[in-house]
Parts: sequence; structure tokens; C-alpha cells
Amino acid sequence: MGRLQIAPQALVCKNTIIEGDVQIGNGTVVHVGASILAKNGPIIIGSNNIISERATIINNHAHPLTIGDDNLIETDSRVEGRGMGHRNTVGARGIIAGTSTLGNNCVVGAACTTDLAENVPDNTVLFGCPQARRVRADGNSDHLFMHKKHLEYIHEMLPRYNHIIEAE
Amino acid sequence: MSSASNTLISVLYHCPCNGATQSPGGLDTGVRVNSEGEEAVVPNASSNSELEAQLKLPLQPNSELLVLRASAIENLYYCDDCSELRCSRCVIEEPAGYHCPNCLFDVPTASVRSEKNCCARNCFQCPVCTHMLSVVETDTETRPFSFACSVCYWDSREIGWEFEKATGISPQIEAIKASDQQAKEYTSLLEYWRTVYRISATSAPTSTLGGHSVGGALKSRFGLSSGLAGNSASTAVIPPYQAAGYMDTDHTRVSQRMNIENVDTVPPLSADLTSIEPQRIRLHMKLARRCRSCHHILIKPESKAQATRFKIQLMAANFLPTITLPNRLSPKTPVLLPEMPLRVGKTVPLVLRFANPLYSEMRVTVAACAPEQDSHVEVVAQQFVLAPFTELWEYDEDEDEDSDGSSSGERSAGRQRGIVDRQGNRVAIQLNLTPKAVIDNLTVPLFVTCTHQDDMDMDTDAPASAPAGGDSSRRTVTNKFWVYISLGPTVQ
Repeated sequence: MGRLQIAPQALVCKNTIIEGDVQIGNGTVVHVGASILAKNGPIIIGSNNIISERATIINNHAHPLTIGDDNLIETDSRVEGRGMGHRNTVGARGIIAGTSTLGNNCVVGAACTTDLAENVPDNTVLFGCPQARRVRADGNSDHLFMHKKHLEYIHEMLPRYNHIIEAE
Repeated sequence: MSSASNTLISVLYHCPCNGATQSPGGLDTGVRVNSEGEEAVVPNASSNSELEAQLKLPLQPNSELLVLRASAIENLYYCDDCSELRCSRCVIEEPAGYHCPNCLFDVPTASVRSEKNCCARNCFQCPVCTHMLSVVETDTETRPFSFACSVCYWDSREIGWEFEKATGISPQIEAIKASDQQAKEYTSLLEYWRTVYRISATSAPTSTLGGHSVGGALKSRFGLSSGLAGNSASTAVIPPYQAAGYMDTDHTRVSQRMNIENVDTVPPLSADLTSIEPQRIRLHMKLARRCRSCHHILIKPESKAQATRFKIQLMAANFLPTITLPNRLSPKTPVLLPEMPLRVGKTVPLVLRFANPLYSEMRVTVAACAPEQDSHVEVVAQQFVLAPFTELWEYDEDEDEDSDGSSSGERSAGRQRGIVDRQGNRVAIQLNLTPKAVIDNLTVPLFVTCTHQDDMDMDTDAPASAPAGGDSSRRTVTNKFWVYISLGPTVQ
């Protein structure tokens, strides 16, 4: 039997599927249709993340799945494994498969997947078909700024059009 | 019935052209290309029409050439001057405009050659993933602009390309390249040798001497061999070269390089892609297509890059009947396709639907060629008439379906044998198919003849003037073509 802990400033829509032991940090937005399934171990989500529609975060293992801060998980993507660090972007239909993890500042391109047990180091970009990886330069200030703006906008607009789970 | 078997089912139209080299021949002189080298002549099977006497299968159904010569009706054109089917192999393609796929700028034909088929504006390709680069702005004070790729996150700062302005990138790139030491040296060397050549060419007007004196100047400068006594007058005029800033002081290596006789190995391509400069984006062409024999334009796209329409669009589907293997005749009737895979020896009814795209009535004759090794086809309805296409039929379809059930019983007596359904401009006929052998892809060839009255006034004949012979404002157009219907594998 799990419990859902939502931080006071987090915004979790009612039409989501959240099962098991899930903690959601401050400022994080969980859009409609997302699934956070802590089937086995717990899922701990940090602050200021954006989890988009139809994204699935699923933990089938006993160890916790940890998601850091300032991540963007785009639509229809899938996060398994042990989670990720901070400031990552998982593109639309991107998959973090098996027991893989993402470091910090990574980008998983649209429809790209990690290998089954790949610990992706920091600052890596997964792109292309066939899969390619490369390291990107730091210089993330723009991206963080946009992320903040995005978050502010969502916090303002989302409650007007969706039912939100009230945090205790 | 799996969807995988449905993907093998197709109706392909055969174009009797001879491909790239010759003008298309008529069907009577059909190319008899056969993998075994035998002629495929078909004897008379029925006493019906003399059409069957002329039936010569142009390609065996299991020939590999079928892929080249026959295609779905969507890929075929029709020349209304010649009144013949045209395929992609017997049309002439010519460019109808050039544009950049990134900025969608229409490039005039003169600029295409001078810019070497690339976009002259700020359109570059990412060296890592070949995606299009966009100009981004960052917070740095000097030179805030650079190129960035949104797919692989490559930034042009990694190779040192930073710009002060967002527009007019090309001259800024030239400035960056010009500041490179080796590039400067190269340009000054090029200038030097150009002057040498010019001077030696003017001093010795015959070309052979001009060439030799350059060689002489080169060798005397480096002191490698003094074999050829060059034109001393020309070498005296030209001062020796002064390095502009870059000098390779390793003389042994230089002389080795200059005396290379054979090259046995080639160094491997470096995997470091980030040091490659972005290339300019190549231009795309819009193609127009013409009939090979009469040069009538069949396809003409609009020349504006953003427009996806066509000014002239003569497609086969607008002139020839579209033949399909329908799944159902209407939402209420049961599924028509026979059970897949087909069994040898078992006769199944195969329903073909013909749709008439024209505004005038079309008379269609279907003939099978028999006997075939792989299958036996009996065409029950050999001749039928297709009603003309009216847009109103689209709206009347509901009425037809409601009345079909009730009136089908009454009309079945008056219906032609073999016609399963008639709706608007479409007719579904039934063939009885008996596979005879186990093969990978059963292909049934059918010979279709369609005739219609083309009642458009010809340009030359004025309707007022009395035509010389009969009815020249209406002409009878006949199209004959082979259709190959693939039905997937057969099993025992």
C-alpha cells in the first residue's frame, strides 16, 4: 500500500494514474494523462520538474527511482531504471529503458532510447537514427531560463482548465 | 486473415514502353521479355472476340521485370494527346524551379550555377547530424550569435564560429576564415603562382614553353635539379616568393612530399566530426514531366517553393478506370476477399471493382489470358458499361445503400451475369480463380480495354464549320492495357 506525498507547491492533475509510494517535490507539474507507477519500489521526484501528458514513470524494481530537479519529461515518453539527475530533457516518445540512468544536463532526443543498462554520463545528447551519442557543451543558462518561464506559465494556466489534486 | 498477406495484394498496371531509349511502342508489338527467353504467346481460349487472338502477354507474371514495368495507378501518368498510359520511365523530367529546403527561397536559375547548387543565405547543415542549423543568441557580450543544431545540440562555438550580427552570416564567415594563418598563406601563394604563370605565358607565347618555364622557375627556386635550362629571361623578371607569415621549416619533409612517386596507403578518416565546418544546404528541385513522344507537359508544379499544388496534373487515375480489390462493397455487405492464403485447386470468387473517373460513359472489356501455368481465371462478365462520374454520386451514396438491399433482388434478373454490384460510377465484377501451382506470389494478368467518347471540342475544329468526316468534335478513345493482380502466396 503506497502513499502519495505531494509538496505544497506541486501541481498534480486529477486525471493522472499514480500508484504506490510516490513523492513529488515542490513546483513539479504532472500533466493530465501521465502515469507514475511505483509498482515495486518508491518513486521520488524532485522539484520543478515538468512531466507531460502520457508520460510513464514506472518502477518495477525494489530500489527507488529518483528524479532530480528541473527535468522536462515530454509527452508519451517512458522512464524506467534508476532515474535521472537534474536539468535533463527526455524528448517526446523517448525511452529510458531497463536499468539505465541519466546524469545531469542530458538530452534524450525524440523517439530515442537508451540501451537496457546504460548509465548515461552528464552532458550527453542522444539523437538520431541509428542512435548516436555526443557530448554537448555546457552553457545551459538559456535552457534553464526557458524552463523557469515554462513552469511559471503552467502554474498560472493549468489550474484554470484542469482539476488539481489538493496537497495536504 | 492477417494484414501481412494484404500487403502483397496489389493491382499493377503495365506500361508497354521500352524505357528510356525508345518511344513507346503499341501493345501489338509488346516487348516480350521473359526470363527464360521464351515467347509468351497465348492461344485462343474462347471463341469470344478477336481481342483474345491478339493477346500476347508482355511479361510473364513471375518475371522480375514486373517491378520495373508495372506500377500502381497512383504512380502513372496519362498523355491525353497520345491517349496513352505513361510511366515514370517513359516521361522526360525537367527542373521547374530550385529552392532551398530551409528558407524556402526560390532561387533563380542563373544563381543556381554560380552558387554551386547551394543556398547563398544563412542556411548551413550541422556537421554532426546534417540537420539544419539555426542562429541562436546567447548572453556573451562580444559576438553573441552562433549556429546551433536542435537535434544534436552542436554549437558552432565549438569550432570558433561566433558572429556579431544575426544576419549576413556569409561575410562574417569569410572574415573568420581569412584570419586563419594557413588560409592566408595559401591565398598569397596562389596569387604568386598566378602572376608567374601570367608572366611566363606572355613572355613565351607558345604554350609548351610557358609550361616548361614554370617548371624551371620552381626547380631553380628549390635547387632540386638544374637539368632544364629554363627561360632565363622569365625567371629573372619574377622575384622569389616571400612567405606571408607561415613557413614550413622542415625542409626534409617538404622535399619528401614534393617527390612522392606512389601512394600506397591512405590515412584513415578521423572520427572527430566536430572540427568539420558546416556545409551549405543543397538546393532542392521541383520537377516537371513531359511525354516522351509528343512533349506534352504531363505534370507541372507551381514554381513557388511553398506551393504544393500543380498547374497541370495529368494522372492515369483521372483517365483510366481504377481497378481495386475491395474489402467490402458497402458497410452492410460481408467481406469479399477470399480466404488467404489461396489453395491450389480450389476455385474462389475474386471480386474486382472498376471505377470510372471520366464524365462520359466508359465501355470496358476484360479478358484473361488462358491457359496459364499458375492459375486459371474465368471472367464471367467480359463486357460492361461504367456510368460516368458525377460529383453528385458522392452525396447520393447513402441513398444507394439503403435501396440496394431491397432492389437487389428485383434487379438481379435484369443484371448482367457476373456483375456483383453497381454503384454510381463503379462496377464490381466477379472472376472465378483457380490456383494451379504453389508459388510465392500468385499474379493474375488481365487485359483491359476501355472505350469512351471524348466529347471535348478539339482545338483545331471549330464547331461551326462543317467537319470533313462525320463527327470530328467527338472522338472515340480506346485504351488497352495489361493489369497484373498480385494475390500473395498459394498453398497446397
